[in-house]
Amino acid sequence: MAIAALHFGRTYATDGGTFTAVADLSFEVGAGEIVGLIGPNGAGKTTTLRSLAGILRPTSGHVRIDGHDLIADPLEAKRRLAFMPDEPHLFEYLTVDEHLRLVARLYGVADFERRAAALIDELELKGKERSLPGELSRGMRQKVVIACGLVREATTLLFDEPLTGLDPLGIRRMRETIVARGRAGAAILLSSHLLHLVEEICTRVIIMDRGNKIADGTFEELRSRADLAEAGSNLEQIFLRVTGRNNPAGQP
Amino acid sequence: MLRASLYIIVCSARNRARMRLRRLREPRYLIGAVVGVAYLYFSLFGRLRGARSNAARDAARARRGGAAPGLSAVPGLVASAPAFTGMALLFIATVSWLAPFDSGLLDFSEAETQFLFPAPVSRRQLLMHRLLRSQIGLLFGAVVIGLAVPSASGSDRLWLGIAMWFLLVTGKVYYTGVSLARARIRAASGRERRLAWAAPSVVLAAAAIVATALTRAFLAAPPSGLRDVVRLVSQVALQPLPHVVLWPFMALTRPMFTASPAAYLTALAGSAAVLAAAIVWVLRSDEAFHDAADDAARRRGPQAQGQRAVSYRARATGWTLAPTGRPEGAFAWKAAMQTLRVVGKRGLARIAALVVALTVVATSAGREGPAATLAAFAITAAIFTILMAPQVIRIDIRQDLQHLELLKTWPVKASAVVRGELLWPGILITTVAWTMIAVATTLSGTVLSRTPVGWRVGIGMAIAIVAPALVFAQLTVHNAVALMFPAWVPLGNQRARGLDAMGQRLIMLGATWLLLIVMALPGAIAGGIVWFALGRFFGPAALIPAAVACCAIIAVEILLATEAVGPIYERLDVMAVERVE
Repeated sequence: MAIAALHFGRTYATDGGTFTAVADLSFEVGAGEIVGLIGPNGAGKTTTLRSLAGILRPTSGHVRIDGHDLIADPLEAKRRLAFMPDEPHLFEYLTVDEHLRLVARLYGVADFERRAAALIDELELKGKERSLPGELSRGMRQKVVIACGLVREATTLLFDEPLTGLDPLGIRRMRETIVARGRAGAAILLSSHLLHLVEEICTRVIIMDRGNKIADGTFEELRSRADLAEAGSNLEQIFLRVTGRNNPAGQP
Repeated sequence: MLRASLYIIVCSARNRARMRLRRLREPRYLIGAVVGVAYLYFSLFGRLRGARSNAARDAARARRGGAAPGLSAVPGLVASAPAFTGMALLFIATVSWLAPFDSGLLDFSEAETQFLFPAPVSRRQLLMHRLLRSQIGLLFGAVVIGLAVPSASGSDRLWLGIAMWFLLVTGKVYYTGVSLARARIRAASGRERRLAWAAPSVVLAAAAIVATALTRAFLAAPPSGLRDVVRLVSQVALQPLPHVVLWPFMALTRPMFTASPAAYLTALAGSAAVLAAAIVWVLRSDEAFHDAADDAARRRGPQAQGQRAVSYRARATGWTLAPTGRPEGAFAWKAAMQTLRVVGKRGLARIAALVVALTVVATSAGREGPAATLAAFAITAAIFTILMAPQVIRIDIRQDLQHLELLKTWPVKASAVVRGELLWPGILITTVAWTMIAVATTLSGTVLSRTPVGWRVGIGMAIAIVAPALVFAQLTVHNAVALMFPAWVPLGNQRARGLDAMGQRLIMLGATWLLLIVMALPGAIAGGIVWFALGRFFGPAALIPAAVACCAIIAVEILLATEAVGPIYERLDVMAVERVE
C-alpha cells in the first residue's frame, strides 16, 4: 500500500493536560486511489495529513509510505511524498522558478526543465516565473505550492483543501490535474470541505469526527450500509447522517 | 470612537497581561521572568540607588546655577544644550524626508483593518485611535528614560519623564506626517502633490538656514576646542533667522534643561504647542491616509504581527541553482538569494569598492589622520564581525524555524540541513571579517607603529585563519540552541516582549557564550602548544601553524556537533516552535 496508517494517534499538550486530535486511526490508500478525507472542523483531518507528511510526529502508531516507516526511514518515505497544504507556505525571497528549482534539487528531479515548463503551463503560471510570492495573489501562491508538489515524481500526494483561493477555471484545472495524477498511478489523499468535489473525483471516502474514523468505504459501500440506508443518495446527506449533524435541534 | 478605542486598548492590555501572567506557570517563562526582573533591578534600580548620593550632590549644584560635573567640564554646555539638541532634532527631521523612516502609527493590525476600516469611523478617528494605542509604549519609554537618568528626587525624574513623553509623541506624530506626505507626493492630482511638498520644503529650508549660519560662523572664527564649538553653536542659535526656525525643535528639549518649576512649566507649554501643531498638520493631511496605510500593510506583508517587515526585490542574482549536488549547497543558495534580494550584487560591489578606495586613499595619505582612523575602525569592525555578527545575522535555522513545516517534508538528512543552514551566513560573515582583517593588517603600522611588520602580518594572518572557525562555531552553537530550545528563540525578525522574554534572551546569551568557550578551548590549547613548540624557532611565522591547528580542531568539533544536532532536528516538533504573541 502506498499509504498505511496503523493505529496512528496524535495528542497535543494543553494548559490543563493533553488533547487528543487523532486517536487510533488505521487506514490504507493504494496506488491509483483517490481517497477523500472529510469531517467537520476539529475532526483531525489536518493533523492526520501533517503527520503523514512528516511535519508532526505521531504520538502512537506508525505511518508507512510505500512500505517505508516515516519515523524509522524518513528520507525514503519523504522522497515519495508530496504535501500540498491549505495555507501556501513559500519563501518570500525566492521567485516561482527558484522555488521549483530548489525542490527539484532537493528531490533529485532529473528532467527538471521539461517538467517545470509543463507544470507552469498546466497551472497557468506562465509569466509569473520571476515573481516573488509577495507579488502573487492567494490563488497563485496556492498554485506555486501545488507546482512544487507535482514537479517531482511523487507516488503519494496529500492535498489539504487544494482548491482554496482558486478561481473557477483554476478549480476545474486542479480537479483535472488531481484526477490525471490518480489515473497515472499516484495514491492521493485529499482533505476538503467541498463534498461535491470529493464525490466527483474520489474513489473512496474516509469520514472523521473528533479524532476518530467513523466511516470508510466507496460511495456504494457507504450507501449500502444499513445505518445509512435512509440517509440519502449523496455524500452530503451521508456525511450529515454519519456525523450526527443532520438534526440541528438535537432531537432523537 | 474614543470610548471604543479605550475599550480596545484596555481589553488588549488586560488580556496581554493575563496571558503573560498565565504563562508564568511554565518553568521556562517563570525562570525567564525571574532573570528579567533581576536584570532590571540590578541594571536600573540597583545602579540608581548606588548613584543617588552623587546625583543628589549634582542636582543641588545644578539648582544653585552650576552644572553637573560631567557637563561642567565645558563651560556653557548646559546653557547651550537646547541649541545643540534642537539642531540634532532638526537634522533628524530633515533626514526623515530622505530616508524611509516609519513611525509605525499607520501599521494597523489585521484585526483593526478588518473591524475598523469598514466601520463608520472617520480617518481622523482612526489616526487618533492609533495614536492612543501607541501611548502605552511611549509612556513606558518615557518612564524608563526618567528612571535611567540618575537624579536626586522623584520629582526630577517625573519632570524629565513628562518632557520625554512630549518629545516621543511629537516624534511619532511627525513621522506619521512624513509618511502621509510621502503618500500625497505620489498622488495623481498636481495640487495634492504641491501641497505635500510644502512640509519637506519648509524643513529643508530650515536646515539650510541653520547649516548656512553654522558654516559662516565656523569659517569666520575656526574653533580651537570644544569650548569654542559650544560658544559658536549658542551664538548661531541666537541669531534671528536661525532662532526662529530652530524654535520648535529647541522647544521640545528645553523642559529637560530648566532649573526651576516655573521655567519648566513655561518650557513645557512650548513643547505642548509644538505637539499640537504636529497633530493638526497630520490630521489635516489625512486625505492620503488610506494610501499610506496600504503602504504600511504592504510593507508588513503576510508576516505575523510583532515581526519587522523586510522588503525583498525580485532582482536577477546571476546565480542559478544547479539541478544536482549536495543539499547543503541548496540551503546555502537559498540563504544567499535572501541576502541578494535585500542588498543586491551592485550594492555589495559598491560597498567593496568603497572599502578598497578608502583603504587606498588612507594608505596614501600617510601614517597619521585618515589611515590611523580607518585602521582603528577596521580592527574594531573585524572584532565585532567575528564575535557579534553570528549572533546578529540570523539567516539560518533561527529564521527558518518559521518554515519548519516546509523543511520537515524535505527528504534531506537532518545533519545536512543543519550544515546547509550554517553555510551561507558563515561564508558571508567570514568574507566581511577577512575584508576588515586585510584592511586592518594593511594599515596596522599606523596604530601599532612599534610592532614589527612581521608580527603584524603574522597576527593578521593567524586571525584570518581562525576567524571562519570561530564564526562557524558560534553559528553552530546558536543554531543548536535554537533547535534544542525552539520556544526560547525569537523566530526570524520577531521581537518577543515582556520581562520573561527578556530574561529568556539573557539566559540564552549566557548559555551560548559558555558553550562557545567550551567549544573553542581545545582549539585554543592546541594552538597554544604549537605556538610554544615553534615560536622560539620561527618567530611570528609560527602563529600560522598554531592558527591552523586551532582552526582544524574547531572544524572537527563543528562537524561532530552538526551530526549530534541532527537527531534533535529530526525529533523537533513544529508545535514546540512558538509564534510571537
